[in-house]
Amino acid sequence: MPTPIDDAAFEYLLARAGLTLTEAEKAELKTVCDGIAGFAERVRKPRGRMAEPALTYGFAEEDLP
Amino acid sequence: MSAAIPTIAEAARRIAAKDLSPVELTRACLERVHALDERLHAFVHLTEERALAEARAAEAAIMAGGSKGPLHGIPIGLKDIVDTKGIPTTCQSKLLQDNIPDADATCAEKLAAAGTVLIGKLTTHEFADGGPSFDLPRPPARNPWNADHFTAGSSSGTGAAIAAGMILCGIGTDTGGSIRGPAALCGIAGLKPTYGLVSRAGVAPAAFSLDHIGPMAWNAEDCALMLQALAGHDPRDPASADRPIPNYAAALGGGIEGARIGVIHHFHETDHKVGEGTQRGIDAAIATLRGLGAEIREVQLSPLQDWHACGSLISIVERAAAYEEWARTRLHDFGERMRSRLMLGAFVSGVDYLQAVRRRRELRAELKAAMAELDVVLTAVFAAEAPKIDAVPKWDVFQQPGFMMPFNVAGYPAMSVCAGFGAGGLPVAIQLVGKPFQETTVLRIADAFERATPFRDRRPN
Repeated sequence: MPTPIDDAAFEYLLARAGLTLTEAEKAELKTVCDGIAGFAERVRKPRGRMAEPALTYGFAEEDLP
Repeated sequence: MSAAIPTIAEAARRIAAKDLSPVELTRACLERVHALDERLHAFVHLTEERALAEARAAEAAIMAGGSKGPLHGIPIGLKDIVDTKGIPTTCQSKLLQDNIPDADATCAEKLAAAGTVLIGKLTTHEFADGGPSFDLPRPPARNPWNADHFTAGSSSGTGAAIAAGMILCGIGTDTGGSIRGPAALCGIAGLKPTYGLVSRAGVAPAAFSLDHIGPMAWNAEDCALMLQALAGHDPRDPASADRPIPNYAAALGGGIEGARIGVIHHFHETDHKVGEGTQRGIDAAIATLRGLGAEIREVQLSPLQDWHACGSLISIVERAAAYEEWARTRLHDFGERMRSRLMLGAFVSGVDYLQAVRRRRELRAELKAAMAELDVVLTAVFAAEAPKIDAVPKWDVFQQPGFMMPFNVAGYPAMSVCAGFGAGGLPVAIQLVGKPFQETTVLRIADAFERATPFRDRRPN
C-alpha cells in the first residue's frame, strides 16, 4: 500500500501546480489522491535503466504486425 | 418509428435510386430532434437552417448526377469539442461559451467534403472528460432507451442522437473509451480507429497521446462508410499516419469463416467481473461467432488494473498539461467533475509519468505478441447496463478498472458492437479489438456478427 500523503506535502504539491482549492475540495481530494500513488506503484516494474518509453506519437516499425 | 430511420447504407441506396430526398431525410431528423431533444439533451447547438440549405444543395447535385458518394445528403452531428468554422464550439464549458472557431477541424472538413448535412453540435462531457455534470452550461445527455439512465461519455450526445434517430452518424472522440462507451450504453456501433488513422487537428485535446477521433453510427457498415471519409494523412496532426487507406465497406459481407478470435476472459471474468446480463451477452456473442466459423481461443494479458493504471496516469498528466493555464487562473470556471480531474495532475510526478510511458511500451509489445496468431481479441465494454444518470460516481477512475483504456494505451483499433439487452431492457455490448491499421478486419467481424443477430432491428421507443 502506498504511504498516505501528509498535509505539508499535499499543500506543497497543490501550490507547485498553482491550484487554489477550497477547504472542502482539499478534504475531498485527500480521500482519493492515494489512488494516484497506487497507480504509480503499478507501473513501477523492475525493467532496468535501458528500457525505453513508448513513442508518444504513432507506431514504430517494431510495433506493427 | 424504427422503419422511418434508415441506416446510412440504406439511405444512400434510396437517395441514389431517387427514392429518398436528402431534404426529406433531413426534415425527418429535425422533427425527431424537436420531438425528443427537450428530454434527451443530445444537442448543444442546432444548425437547422444550414442543414436544410446543405440538404437542398445535396439534392440538387445528386439530381444533376454529381453524387459525392454514400455520405452525400446524410444528416450528421459533431461532438462539441470539434471546431466548426462560424459555429459555436463550446466544449460544454463556461470557459468557451463565446468561442466561434475560424476554421473547421479536419474531421469536420472531411465530412463536409463528403456531402454530409450538419444538423448540429452534440453534447459532451466538459472538454471530453469528467462525467455527467449538472453544473455546466447545458445539461448532460440522457439515454434514449430510458432517459433516467446514463449514456456514458464523453461522446454522450452522439450516442443518444444516433440511437434516437436524430442523426444517422456522428463524430466521437475516445481517450479512454468515449466512443465505445456511449456506443455500448446507447446500443449503437462505435469504432475507435488506430491511433493516427484519423486526424485530431482542430479537436480539443483530452490527453494528446491517447486521443482518437472516430465514427459512431447505428451499425458497423455505417461506421465503415464514415471511416472512409475520415481516414487519411493530415499534416496538421503531428501524430497522423501516412498509410494507404483501404476500401472499408468492400471488406464487409464476405463471412468470417476461419477468423481467429482471442477472448480475454480474465479481463471481464476475474480482473473486473461483469454482471450476469453482460456475461450472457458475451457468451452468446462468442457462440454466434463460433457458429459463423470463427476459431475461438483464450488470451492472457497483464491484469486489467495494470493497463488502467498506465492509461490513467498518462491521461491525468496530459490533461493537466493541456489545461494548466486555465487551471491556474480560472479553476472554478470549470465544472466540478473536470475541475476534480485537473487537480489530480498535481499528484503525479514526472518520474511517475515516464514510468507509465515505459510501461506502455511493454504493454503494447505484450498485446502484439498475444495477437500474433489472432485476427481480433474480444472482451467487455462495460460491466453492466447503463446506470441511473445520478448514480455515476465522481471518482470512478479509482474504482474498478475500465475495459476500454487498454486499447487507448496500445493505440489499437477497437469497436463496440451491441450484443443484446440486459434484465433492465438496456443494451449490452462486446468489444472487438484489431491489430494496428487492420480496421477492415474489425469491421468485417462486427458486421458479420450484427447480421447474424437481431439486435439491429430494435430501436428505443
